[in-house]
Formats: sequence, C-alpha cells, structure tokens
Amino acid sequence: MGSADRFTIDELIVTCISRQAKNSDLMAQGIATPLVVAGYILAKLTHAPDLIFAVAIGGCITNSWAPLSISRAEEANLERPLYIFSFDEAAGTLMFTIQPKEFFRPAQVDPRGDFNNVVLGDYYAPKLRLPGCGGIADVTNYSPRVYLYVPRHSRAVFVERLDFVSGVGVLEEEERKELSILSPGPRYLVTNLGTFDFEGGRMRLLSYHPGVRVERIQKKTGFPLAMAPDLHETPPPSAEEVMLLREEIDPLGIRELERLSGGRRRAKLREIIEREAEGF
Amino acid sequence: MSDKVVTLSEAVGLVEPGDTIALGGMTLYRRPVAFARELIRSRVKDLTLLALTAGYESDLLVGAGSVRRVRTCYFGLEIFGLAPMFTKKARDLEIIEETEVSLALGLRAALSGIGFQPARAWQGTDLLKVRPDVKTISCPYTGERYVAFPAIKPDVAVIHVQESDCQGTAILKGNLALDREMALAAKQTIITTERLVEEVEGQIATFPSRVDAVVLAPKGAYPTSCYPYYRLASQEVLDYVDACSRGEFEEYLARFLDGGEVGER
Repeated sequence: MGSADRFTIDELIVTCISRQAKNSDLMAQGIATPLVVAGYILAKLTHAPDLIFAVAIGGCITNSWAPLSISRAEEANLERPLYIFSFDEAAGTLMFTIQPKEFFRPAQVDPRGDFNNVVLGDYYAPKLRLPGCGGIADVTNYSPRVYLYVPRHSRAVFVERLDFVSGVGVLEEEERKELSILSPGPRYLVTNLGTFDFEGGRMRLLSYHPGVRVERIQKKTGFPLAMAPDLHETPPPSAEEVMLLREEIDPLGIRELERLSGGRRRAKLREIIEREAEGF
Repeated sequence: MSDKVVTLSEAVGLVEPGDTIALGGMTLYRRPVAFARELIRSRVKDLTLLALTAGYESDLLVGAGSVRRVRTCYFGLEIFGLAPMFTKKARDLEIIEETEVSLALGLRAALSGIGFQPARAWQGTDLLKVRPDVKTISCPYTGERYVAFPAIKPDVAVIHVQESDCQGTAILKGNLALDREMALAAKQTIITTERLVEEVEGQIATFPSRVDAVVLAPKGAYPTSCYPYYRLASQEVLDYVDACSRGEFEEYLARFLDGGEVGER
C-alpha cells in the first residue's frame, strides 16, 4: 500500500470523525475521548470553521479550541466560554433541546447498535466493572445525533448479545413508540478497521480502511455484517489533515492513548505528562 | 452573630455512619479532596457516596473502606483509566446505577418538594432491571410512558469553592457540575474554600441559610484542579494509578493521610 507511513490508524479514525461534523454543528465532547476532540478540531480547521463545542471538562459551550492537553484541558475550555451550564440544566433541558452530535466509545456493541458501558460479565458478579454510562442511557432515548467509535475492533466488542444494555440501538417502530424513544439509534460507527451504519437495524459495513480486507473485518466481528451496496475504501486523510493533526492539534500524541492499554499506556501517559510539565 | 467557620475535623464531625454524602465537582476537577482525607482519618464507615462523576478522592474513600454504597453515573479517572480501587472492590460495593438525568432530576425533585421528576430516559436499557425502585409512569396528557426518577436527598453535601464568606455565601468559577443543587438539597452543607473573604463578588452559588459549616482549605482540591487557581496535577494522579497497579494502595493511602508529600506540593 505504502499508505501506512503517510498516516497512522489513529489519524484515519480522527479524520473519519472530522468528516461527520458539518459546518455550524454543535458537537458534544465527553471525557477521556482525545480521538473525538482531535476530530472536532480538525473539522473546525478544515471544512467546518463555525463548529461549536459543548464540553464536559469545564462544563461549558465554546467556539474556541486549543491543542490537546491533559493538565490544561479545563482552563483551555474555560478561556472564552460562550455559555456555562450546570448539569441540572444540561441533563434536564439543554441537551434535549440543542441536541448536539456526540461520539461515544462503547465497550460492547450488538448487531442493531445497542451498546454497553456499565459492566462486562454478569452484572452481579462482573468480570470487569466499567466506569458507567454517564448520560448515554438518557441521550439514546431522544437524540437523533448519536455516533460511535471503537479504536480496537474485536469480537470482544462486537457481540451477538450484550452483557448489559446502557445505550439504545435501532429499534422497531412499535418498540420505540411503546418506550417513548425518539432516537433512531446510532447513525454512524468508525473503528480501526472500517466505517459502518445500522441501516435497517443491522450493523452494515460502509467502507474498509486502506489495507484492510473485508474478510478480516467480518472475522473480527462476532456476528454477520450487512454490506452497503456501494462498499468502498475509506478515503485516507489528506497531507494537510495529517500535518494539522501532528503539528497543530495534537503535537503530544494524546490521541494515541485510546489504542494502548496496560503498561504501554501508562508509559505513554507519563511521557505526555512530563512533556506538558516542561511547557509543551 | 457567630460565623460558621470550623476546622476540617469539626466539619467531618457532622457526618454520621450510614449517611449519604454528596461530593461536589466533577471527576478530577474541584473535588473536596482535603475533606475526603479528613473523612478517611475519622474512620466513619458505611457511607453512601453520591457524585455526579466520581474520581480520585472517591477512589481513595472506597479503597480506605469508608464507602458501602456508590451512586454516580461515572466512576473513573478519565484519561488516566479505570479507578483502581472501585474496579477492584466493585463486587463488594453496593452500586446504585445513576445517569446524568437520574441524578440531576432526582435532586431537582427534592428541590421542588415532590417525590419524582419524569424524563425521557433509561427505556430500552437494562438500568430499570437493576434499579427496581425506579418506576415508570404514563403521561396524563399524551399517554406516553416516562421514567419517574425518585427524589434524592443527601444527608451531607460537601462543595469545594474558590471563595466564600464566613456564613457560606460562596461563588463558583467555571464548571458548576451539580454543586448548587447538592448544596440546596442536602440536610447539611459543608463548604470548603480556597479563600475566606469579607464579601464575595459576582453571582453566588450557595445561600448562607442553607450552609452549616465553612472550612478554609487552601489547595483543598489538590491534586484535582481548582480553576483558575491551579490545574489538575496529572503527575500525582498518575503516581496514584501506578502505585495501585503495583499493589501499593495502602502505602499510597498512608502518604495521602500524612498529607506531606501529597497535597502540599
């Protein structure tokens, strides 16, 4: 291919996220989602200059951005806030009415796009207790702008049956009505292997990333995938997008943390934090 | 008229075993860490920990055995990963699942003096199965089914603020989380503050008639942030995670309780 030296898989995921943002969209940022934050900023610096962000860290709405940072994220978000909200307002009225687009990172996803952020294994004797779903069980009852991303696509993530449902997928019309659910389910999913939607209530491959075979994507997914009629290769990031990411948006490489785990992740974290302390 | 300024240990004396204690701030931002340290020292047990998002000090409280029940929508250390002691002890804790809506509207119901607040949330998930106490209702106007989130009334709320006067009139800068609501809904409210001032400037976040104790606690949120005075001390949070990953929680806790190396940098 020769493309791997032009961009990394993190950069491709960021670019896919960026392309889902349209100019003047309101984009919500959760916590610990550097790939998403990088994607939103990339959109703002390219095709969507009027993008506005609703940020959890700092609890505000802002149209300014700063390079990704761990220690300085809060003060950067609060430097020029357009609006400061309490979570009484955010969860009670604001998010329902302004309906931002938001990318969530699930631990498990089923074929129709239900997802899990609460627990792995039996709920009462868990293999792994996860941090929890934040506002996902709320937002997926009403929002038409639910997006997903999975940095490490595997059969452990894409399962026929979830251990716990904390985010709602694409339901039958009758079921939605009975449960007063307005959300049509997740609109889009990007992983390190391809992009997908849930058209017709079944996870469907829209595009495979450069160098990734469709058979491999199917093999890494714990249930049969539907295929889009115009299945194609994911357009790679442009040279300008890669340059912006590496030099302007995330020079410390914080986005890479989402693909690492265990000791390697802690070592990378330490390196980033030391560089931040030195003033980067 | 006497003021409400007390020492940290006097303030902790307001907490009884079995209480529901609401901690202000968000995950790693403006958390009442100095209060949590004193609470662990006090050996009060069997607490229900209530937080919008629980982070560093909550994990220490869980690790130290102060907490029996957890009510939050997120318990973790954000980019630093899972909260190690919460993850380790999850099977032994009673976890009351919450979301942003159930916490916000539960407090709102309490503040409105009613039993519940309805919302379009949770349906189609497993949350209602593991929270059988949470009921659904039919809207009397549209017939739609909503979830009726029960009122939440903490026994004690602890809010760390940037500035307060001696009666507990305080301001918050930036991030509001659910702090104003917790302070109003709790039976008793404790303010810990970076600065004690004669008179605060700007829109107030707490009402003196609803505050019981005020504690001067400079750097009282460290190593979490207190915008705009100090940033999140990432190095310290990472040291905590590293210590736990080496199985050295007890050693870290001992240092934390000494308050020397930790919290004074």
